[in-house]
Amino acid sequence: MTRKQKRLAVILGGVSFITVAVLLVMFAFSQSVAYFFMPADIAQTEIRPGTRIRLGGLVAEGSVKRGQGSTVSFTVTDGKGNVPVTYTGILPDLFREGQGVVTEGAFDASHAFVADSVLAKHDETYMPKDVADRLKKEGVWEDGKATAKGAGMPVAQGVVRQ
Amino acid sequence: MGPMVLWILLAFLTAGVAAVLLMPFARTAAATPADRAGDVEVYRDQLEELNRDRAQGLIGTQEAEYARAEIGRRLLAAAGAGSVSGTVAAKASRHRVATAIVTLLPPVLGLCLYLSLGNPGLPDQPLQARLANPGNNLALLVTKAERHLAQNPQDGAGWDLLAPIYLRSMRLGDAELAFRNAVRILGPSATRLTGLGETLVAASDGVVTDDARAAFEQAVKLDPDNPRARFYTGLGLEQAGRAPEAKDVFEKIAGESPSDAPWMPLVNEHIAKNGGQVAPKGAAGSDAAQAPGNPSSQDVAAAGQMSQGDRQQMIRGMVDSLAARLKEDPKNLDGWLRLVRSYAVLGNKAKAQEALKSGLTQFPAVGEDGKQLVALAQEMGLAAEGANP
Amino acid sequence: MIIEIGHYALVLALATALIVSVMPMIGARRGDMAMMTLATTGSLALFALVLMSFGALTWAYVVSDFSVVNVWENSHSLMPLIYKFSGVWGNHEGSMMLWLLILCLFSAMVALFGRNLPETLKANVLAVQALIASAFLFFILLTSNPFLRLDPAPAEGQDLNPVLQDLGLAIHPPLLYLGYVGFSVCFSFAVAALIEGRIDAAWARWVRPWTLAAWTFLTAGIAMGSYWAYYELGWGGWWFWDPVENASFMPWLAGTALLHSALVMEKREALKIWTVLLAIITFSLSLLGTFLVRSGVLTSVHSFATDPTRGIFILCILAIFIGGAFTLFAWRAPSLKSGGLFAPISREGALVLNNLILTVATGTVLTGTLYPLVLETLTGEKISVGAPFFNMTFGLLMLPLLVAVPFGPLLAWKRGDLLGALQRLYLVAGLSLVAGLVFFYIYNGGPILSIFGLALGFWGMFGAVADLWYRGNFGKVKLGVAFRRLSGLPRSTFGTALAHFGLGVTVLGIFAATTFGTETVTEMKPGASVDAGGYTLTFDGMREAAGPNYTESRGHFTVKRGSVSVAETWSSKRLYTARRMPTTEAGILSFGASQLYVSLGDPMADGGIVVRIWWKPFILCIWGGALVMMFAGFVSLSDRRLRVGAPSRKAKAAKVVKPGLEAAE
Repeated sequence: MTRKQKRLAVILGGVSFITVAVLLVMFAFSQSVAYFFMPADIAQTEIRPGTRIRLGGLVAEGSVKRGQGSTVSFTVTDGKGNVPVTYTGILPDLFREGQGVVTEGAFDASHAFVADSVLAKHDETYMPKDVADRLKKEGVWEDGKATAKGAGMPVAQGVVRQ
Repeated sequence: MGPMVLWILLAFLTAGVAAVLLMPFARTAAATPADRAGDVEVYRDQLEELNRDRAQGLIGTQEAEYARAEIGRRLLAAAGAGSVSGTVAAKASRHRVATAIVTLLPPVLGLCLYLSLGNPGLPDQPLQARLANPGNNLALLVTKAERHLAQNPQDGAGWDLLAPIYLRSMRLGDAELAFRNAVRILGPSATRLTGLGETLVAASDGVVTDDARAAFEQAVKLDPDNPRARFYTGLGLEQAGRAPEAKDVFEKIAGESPSDAPWMPLVNEHIAKNGGQVAPKGAAGSDAAQAPGNPSSQDVAAAGQMSQGDRQQMIRGMVDSLAARLKEDPKNLDGWLRLVRSYAVLGNKAKAQEALKSGLTQFPAVGEDGKQLVALAQEMGLAAEGANP
Repeated sequence: MIIEIGHYALVLALATALIVSVMPMIGARRGDMAMMTLATTGSLALFALVLMSFGALTWAYVVSDFSVVNVWENSHSLMPLIYKFSGVWGNHEGSMMLWLLILCLFSAMVALFGRNLPETLKANVLAVQALIASAFLFFILLTSNPFLRLDPAPAEGQDLNPVLQDLGLAIHPPLLYLGYVGFSVCFSFAVAALIEGRIDAAWARWVRPWTLAAWTFLTAGIAMGSYWAYYELGWGGWWFWDPVENASFMPWLAGTALLHSALVMEKREALKIWTVLLAIITFSLSLLGTFLVRSGVLTSVHSFATDPTRGIFILCILAIFIGGAFTLFAWRAPSLKSGGLFAPISREGALVLNNLILTVATGTVLTGTLYPLVLETLTGEKISVGAPFFNMTFGLLMLPLLVAVPFGPLLAWKRGDLLGALQRLYLVAGLSLVAGLVFFYIYNGGPILSIFGLALGFWGMFGAVADLWYRGNFGKVKLGVAFRRLSGLPRSTFGTALAHFGLGVTVLGIFAATTFGTETVTEMKPGASVDAGGYTLTFDGMREAAGPNYTESRGHFTVKRGSVSVAETWSSKRLYTARRMPTTEAGILSFGASQLYVSLGDPMADGGIVVRIWWKPFILCIWGGALVMMFAGFVSLSDRRLRVGAPSRKAKAAKVVKPGLEAAE
């Protein structure tokens, strides 16, 4: 091989590696990206069973029920729609009724949402960002408190931080 | 004296920084060392390394020769450049602008920014020192009590004192714990149980939960005349949808309370809400404060009013202890100022006047300190004897 | 008063940084010695001022001075002393202060230890450093000032986020920032070199120790963060491909590439332009990480507070520095002379392959991290890119690199002999495969393909050993001679071998833990037992307990092997009283490099409690390998050659006269 050919081979090798990487990234995006939905969207869009999605909203008051072993069922709501969710495993520390939550999973054949991960992150004032943005837009939630809870707001407003 | 010392220190700091930055200009301009000396050293080391690599077979003989030639060329170039790159003698005149900037920028920028951002007048306030001299700062007293209770968790009286304060400042978790501890250690009493119940109600956003109802019912058992506990049992019934029973309870409270009791408007409202006739027991029923609204908010407001007595009592205790301390150590201007203000705020004009007088004997009105007392007196509407110059 | 002095020192630091970022650069252009020396004294003064300011803030935390807003918001008087110290950087303002402090520390180190640098280069490097410092000083003073006061001061603080009340906070951020920010030195060197228009092997040699130091600390910081998340969050995972994790991982990948390309440049003066570009990219990724974490674009445990002005401010800093550096690069790079020649199959070629794979891998991580943000900005559509994406792309792309690692050190410079290297590695490959098989057989279970994963780990480890074996010529010469040869090798050779060995250990840990790990979620009543990893866990019951600023209910577990009790542990659910915030404290037991991980769930109505038990075989290898890599970094740093280039006063005179002779030898 001449020097020119060698250089060409190196460049071709590099370019083909990058091409493979780009194709891989595109393939992976098509396979494993989960779209974010709120219960109101679910009613409007047809989501095929088995497609992984993220479902976010508030945990509806009084909806958390413990089933067999560590299976838990609850309803995710955004004030407009409700989606029942079942989840097996340990719920995060900050999972509470009336609090924001993001679940990831898929609908099964009978159109029930089975979550394999539930996120309610690490701060008591934390509201998953996706959920907060949407709820704010729809006026269900203001910084700090969910108004969906209805009664009792005046109590919370009187908080004296000292 | 505080701020003055601060400014002196800041001035020293600024001067120090400017001096350090000016140091290079003060030195007689040294010759620039041949810049490339370091390069030469690096290339020499590379040649040695090449030999080592060659010995270990990390590079082929022919390649090593090529590499040696490459490095050699660079070495020559570096050495040549090194001898050329000469000294640029810095002229002192050139530095006039530079030194001016270096001298002026730190103080000017420092002062401008600091004055707009900083709080030069505010002293440090380490918690330990503040706790040692809490004065009548309620929050500090609470913290002090908390520390005491952390050491002596079996001090029921401490929990009893703290619990209502927690409730008023909406630290509901702490309040619940404190009430429960007080009940556990000192035994149940109507006040404690009612407080616990109110805490639970507040924590569940105005809903009388089972836990809360149990507490109120026990309180009523202990003290059948306690209007607060009875009011909440009524509220619980109302929320459970048992309107007639709730109405009975409210009407009973109304019947046994004096017509000008502060809770009457609220009770009447609930009687009306549960389908009863408000007994025309005076003007309280049509009070403006009785505007319809969210029941839970008013409940809580009423609760706050009811425990106003506790609060006053607590503050009075603190003020008395301050007065006692001042008797022992009268050379404490801050103390006198605080004492006068406290008495005036509590509405005890006579005591305030007395404290002012004692303060003025320690700090005569003509002095700088005395003037502060006089100014306070005027602000509080007290007559300062011998204050007028 | 101490606090106000600290505040003023910070303002003064800004003035100093502004002076140091301008004067030395002018000095370097004019050849004005005094103005260039200003860089050294100025950088030291800058560090002293920032240290003073940081010290004042720390003092405010230690004495619980709640008249400082930042202290009130993030501290509690009853917190253990260690958390009062570490709490300083457990919030946005404080962590920016730590960032700045470390940046200035690196400047001061360059000022102190850079005596061997040409004066102009040193002046320019320190000026660029000071420019970065000024930007962040502005940022801190105007948008994130930790010295704002409260009057009257509250009596009690709002406590530190309980998740952060851990020894991890004391170690992880400083280490991470030492790495993250350490790359600023490489960036400054690159920009300074572009300004001067002169980049050569000597430059690479000066940059390399800083790259190595930053890389070493970043390795340790990431490993520490990963272990912290593993034991503190109670989720049993050790890497989540969380955007914030990626933000620290990307500079590491690029930094690893930089470490290798700087080697080529130092030895053979090839890949000049690429190395300079990589130095800029690496620190740009650090800045990007800071932006992602600090701007509130991402919500995670790391974004303490969100404030849009901060985000815009950092974005401006980002645009100015990255944009400026790339513009300078585009303008100057064409004028740089390209360096030495080499064949595709050679040490240089292997290092180019390393760089290619690492940068492409960095690119995929960057894509996966930024794509959701870009998509949301453009279309408003919200997606999440999680672990499956990264495992598929990054994981697959790294495989060829892991295969290639042992070949690199065995190839000769300029023109290597692949066949020879293959011959030498036959045995190693065979051994690795056997080791993988044996491992798989002992811990049977999992997909057959994982044998190759395990073998890959062993391949990295054995390959590193083989490298040293052939260097010492073991087996061909007498043992004593071989050992003498081995001990004569430069430290950096051992550093290389150790780092590659550590990589192998980590890979082994990853494959072993994911293949053979088990997870059990079950409800347990006192007295109930569960089997995991050959051990039997018995739940003995719950008990209430209290700590200084929390209450907890903890469950006791006894671990038996057969019928012999081997260990016991507590696992608890804590409630931090000040913030009413619950956390899970997992019970973790180590058996060799494997761990049992017990975390509590919710109590059930019938008195039982949900318990999650993981068996994590060889999980400690993941972090152990990283520790080995860190150690390797220190070994390499101690290499004598990294200090060469210092014209010691005595030798200087002689050298300048002699070079011609030496070159001709």
